[in-house]
Amino acid sequence: MNGERGKGVPAELPMRDQPGYYPGFSTLGQRDAWDAATREVVVARVETPPPIRYFDADAMLFWTVVFDHLLPQNDRTPERRIPIVNLVDQRLRDDRTVGYRYADMPPDREAYRLGRDAIDAEARSAHDAAFVDLAYAQRESILARIHDGEPRAAQAIWARMSVHRFWQLIVGDAADAYYAHPWAWDEIGFGGPAYPRGYTRLERGEPEPWEVRERRYAWSVPSGAASDEVENVHAFHLESEQHRSHVKNAGRR
Amino acid sequence: MKGHALGSRQRLQTPMRRYAENDPVDYVIVGVGSAGGVLVQRLARAGFRVIGLEAGPFWDTERDWVSDEAGSHQLYWEDPRVTGGSDPLALGANNSGKGVGGGSVHWASFTPRLHPSDFETYTRDGVGVDWPLSYDDIRPYYEQLELEMPVAGPAYYPWGHPHGYAYGPHPMGGVGNALINGCSALDIPVSIGGPVAILSGAHGDRPHCIYRGFCIQGCKVGAKASTLITHVPDAIANGAEIRERAMAYRIEVNANRRVRGVHYFDDDGNAHVQRAKAVIVSGYAIETPRLLLNSACPGFENGLANSSGTVGKYLMSQAGNVVLGRFDEPVRMYKAPPAHALTEEFYETDPRNDFARGFAIQTVGPLPIAFAKQMIAAKKAWGWGLRREMMDYNHWAAFGVLGEILPWDDNRVTLAEETDRFGIPVAHVSFNLRDNDKKLIKGAKDKTMEVMWAAGATEVVQEARYAHLVGGARMGKDPATSVVDAFGRSHDIANLFVCDGSVLPTQGSANPGLTIQALAARTADYLVSAGDSVFTSDARDPARPPLRTSLAPPATWGKGVPRLK
Repeated sequence: MNGERGKGVPAELPMRDQPGYYPGFSTLGQRDAWDAATREVVVARVETPPPIRYFDADAMLFWTVVFDHLLPQNDRTPERRIPIVNLVDQRLRDDRTVGYRYADMPPDREAYRLGRDAIDAEARSAHDAAFVDLAYAQRESILARIHDGEPRAAQAIWARMSVHRFWQLIVGDAADAYYAHPWAWDEIGFGGPAYPRGYTRLERGEPEPWEVRERRYAWSVPSGAASDEVENVHAFHLESEQHRSHVKNAGRR
Repeated sequence: MKGHALGSRQRLQTPMRRYAENDPVDYVIVGVGSAGGVLVQRLARAGFRVIGLEAGPFWDTERDWVSDEAGSHQLYWEDPRVTGGSDPLALGANNSGKGVGGGSVHWASFTPRLHPSDFETYTRDGVGVDWPLSYDDIRPYYEQLELEMPVAGPAYYPWGHPHGYAYGPHPMGGVGNALINGCSALDIPVSIGGPVAILSGAHGDRPHCIYRGFCIQGCKVGAKASTLITHVPDAIANGAEIRERAMAYRIEVNANRRVRGVHYFDDDGNAHVQRAKAVIVSGYAIETPRLLLNSACPGFENGLANSSGTVGKYLMSQAGNVVLGRFDEPVRMYKAPPAHALTEEFYETDPRNDFARGFAIQTVGPLPIAFAKQMIAAKKAWGWGLRREMMDYNHWAAFGVLGEILPWDDNRVTLAEETDRFGIPVAHVSFNLRDNDKKLIKGAKDKTMEVMWAAGATEVVQEARYAHLVGGARMGKDPATSVVDAFGRSHDIANLFVCDGSVLPTQGSANPGLTIQALAARTADYLVSAGDSVFTSDARDPARPPLRTSLAPPATWGKGVPRLK
């Protein structure tokens, strides 16, 4: 079936064990320099991701495919991909919130349920097929409509739930999982935990003796990826406007 | 090292006293955060029998805290709340702590003072409201708390009432250098290496900063001040009890219209009542109004201390727009404290602006998850675009606006219909910007972007957001328009006090932590002067109490400030 992970992604992006500009850098390699409580939490994150217990099989597949677009990892070798849906499953199972709910949003569990219905309805109205059965570029364009705050289907759902806040929720959850992982720290050159040793080279972006210097290379995203675009929304100085408003192509490099 | 860790070197030295629930103690303080931590220490040292009720845990910093962004979520208030209005505020990690030390555990620890103008914005600028006290009233407490934390900073700080700091400023990191470069290019004065409540040298059993950048995840080092490590140990040594995981839900009033105790749930959901001769609510700008409103009873149908209808109103948050600049050369902004350098050059009302009051520009140092969320907001990044932006993490620096939003009566805390796990109605927060606020935010954002460009950034973007919370139970002279007097004593009930950020009538463009702790020390001096009359009499002595330096934690003296002992 077409919903298989990675289906349709052009092959021009080579797979690597460690994408990013810091080849050979390993935060986990520094684990002996961390305090015990931190080491336990971070190592467990790598070695024992939580099992899926909240999502059923259909929901698990659906959100796995969605998160493959929100934070794609096709450039990572399969054994070096960072679990995302497991972390979201755990948060929803525990019903753990961030400490508040926007008045125009339902509780997170319901938001995920409604959001799945709405994304599927968008897919069916556009392509007469379930979201997971669409081709890669079609899935990108469906999600881009949600990103842009311009869904065309499921208006009854979007009347109950802010499309912008929903987008912030799911992309935020993806970022929470991905950038909490030491392999993502290696990718972006973040030094990671630093207690009790600390950092000593504070200026000019100098690396610690155990960090590595940046080595940039040309990096391009797969063709057909709508998420290549970024905007610059600095014209919107109020939080409420910022999420509602878009500047088409304004920040594209 | 064995024992209850409060930082890498300090251990809790003394066993903690326990009081019986039916034993009426002198004071129950609800919330052991920035204000509650100072109050419980001061009152215990003065000889009162005191309990600090804290909804969250009594942290062991070695066992409970991690040097990790995602692993630190339990430091923040994660219980349900609803946030709405035209400009809804993010809560939780953005501004709400839980556990002993409260917000002082996860503050970045910038500690600027308010300016003299902040205490009379209505008189000077025709906006906001005047305080019932002046800068001169709070100044001795600023000076005192700056020594107790202590604060590191420059020897001469030029803004507001000029002053200096006893402890030296911190060395610069990449973000601080960017702010210095940008300000210098535009002839804007800038404060370097403070004021921050982070040790630049060892202080007793607290070591100096190691520049690991995890300030807002809780300082395992013990270099950053929190009341957990600066004041609570001395409170316990003087006989105070810290009762952790105790969620207050109702303050009880007797037939004489005086409070007589606090009802709370323990972690297992069992209800308890602690008797007390007086109660101080120190739950911060949302939980304090929530508790006062949830304590409504016959004779106080609208909640306690609310005859004016002001409880929950005039809630404030500061504009906290984050301006991000990309530099060709690496910055590595995760190193060094996020709070590192600032300018208050635009703090005061400037007739050339189209708004009243002003703003500060400060360094911030987002770690990867926070930075990813900023890229999601500021550049609408997702998918491959987000991955690509994040690969440049080490090339970005971040400045934060801190802008004054004025107090408005429809920015308020009310009770929602939904309840928390104990069945207590949760807080509904409504926030709506007015014209002056919007113009100020735009001006502050534009100026901060100008500084970032001047620093040499090749790309500048911004995320609109808010920082800090104050108000919701404001102090004032007039009982018809305020909740408490200038010492935090409620106008309606003589043995009920509020002491925390919620009493602030206006907020300026200064981070509120120092002011909250200074007000707590001032309230403590008032209570010590009033003595047992607080428990029996409705009489109020408006005189300024003497500053009692003898009530400071003993570690304050003889370490770095020898001339002052």
